[in-house]
Amino acid sequence: MPSGIQVRCPDPTIRRHVRSWLQEGRISPPVPLSIDIQLQESTPPQDGVPVIFEQPGVSVRRHPLDGKLSITWETAPAVAEFRSGDSCAHVILSPEAAKRIEDSTRTFMLTVLIFLLRRAGWHHVHGATAVDRKGRGWLFAGDSHSGKSTTAALVCSRGWAVGTDDIAFLAPAGERVEVRAFRSRIALRSGGRELLARAGGVPLPARGKMGFWPDELGGSWVPTVQPEIVIFTAVGGEHTRAEPLGPGDTLAQLVRWSAWVVVEPGLANEHLGLISRLGRQSRAYRVSLGRDLFRHPDLLSELIP
Amino acid sequence: MTVRYQPHPELRLSSLEGEGVVLHLGSRRYFTVSKTGLVILEALSTPRTLDELVTVIVERYEVGRDHATASVLGFLERCREVDLITELEGEG
Repeated sequence: MPSGIQVRCPDPTIRRHVRSWLQEGRISPPVPLSIDIQLQESTPPQDGVPVIFEQPGVSVRRHPLDGKLSITWETAPAVAEFRSGDSCAHVILSPEAAKRIEDSTRTFMLTVLIFLLRRAGWHHVHGATAVDRKGRGWLFAGDSHSGKSTTAALVCSRGWAVGTDDIAFLAPAGERVEVRAFRSRIALRSGGRELLARAGGVPLPARGKMGFWPDELGGSWVPTVQPEIVIFTAVGGEHTRAEPLGPGDTLAQLVRWSAWVVVEPGLANEHLGLISRLGRQSRAYRVSLGRDLFRHPDLLSELIP
Repeated sequence: MTVRYQPHPELRLSSLEGEGVVLHLGSRRYFTVSKTGLVILEALSTPRTLDELVTVIVERYEVGRDHATASVLGFLERCREVDLITELEGEG
């Protein structure tokens, strides 16, 4: 299935790899977008351009004169530029970065994709998505060690549909908000696999995890979820607990896990509007995930009926 | 001289059921605000004096003017500390 994002690159291997990554993600934005990749011996210097945001391995800069954004990769020289009003990401890869194109799709190219999709009105949220057996949409938001993936795998084993365990995008759906999944394998660390008593999977060596498609875990894949329930997860002790959140805390948590909202002033209102609408359409809980969840795997939907 | 308060141009406000989150795009920080704080920040869609803000609060809540003045002053001070509002000085 084509991704809906055009990829141009004179190097057929890089072009094929990026297209294949996007196709696997099953992303189809509502407007045409493109990624233009050039290979150069060196990347444009960014000295003196202020860093406005940093994530592990990636820095975002805004050029003061023309407002152009540039994203740089720390692992190997690579730069992506977004010019004002442009729906194309202009990417320059050094030979070293080109050799590590697969690594880049977890950090640098993923950030490029996040910024590109913002130009189509889709705004990233760090979360997992699922639909339970009653047809209710869920968003599990939290950081990389908050139990999202293990919970996604667990509910999958109970027949839920899962969209993503990690990479999701808020998108308008009439008066509501839907969350679009970037399809990738649910990635489990050894601890999560032990708790789930799950063998097999595909090694994801760069992440030190094993990957599973939802149907390999007993569930199915769902591209889009309209969340009725949002949970902010953290790994707890023995017992799973769910605490309802008030409106202010819900908004603050959604902003926290949709952190790019603060980066581009021209898109902040649109992004913030989606966060507010998501808060309005859903019930939110802070959930401490306990070990009892693995003995009683339907506990989550019993705690949050 | 009369001091009027206005939101910082890089402030963005989002509300849900009377509670809010305010973002400062310049410092890339966000803050939760109480119901009263939200009322004050929403009232600053046009620059207002302390006296005008106190009037907004006493008309909205059953609270005496002295108590409202202390609350509004405290809130404005906290907002000023994190650059959420700026002051305009002018005649009248």
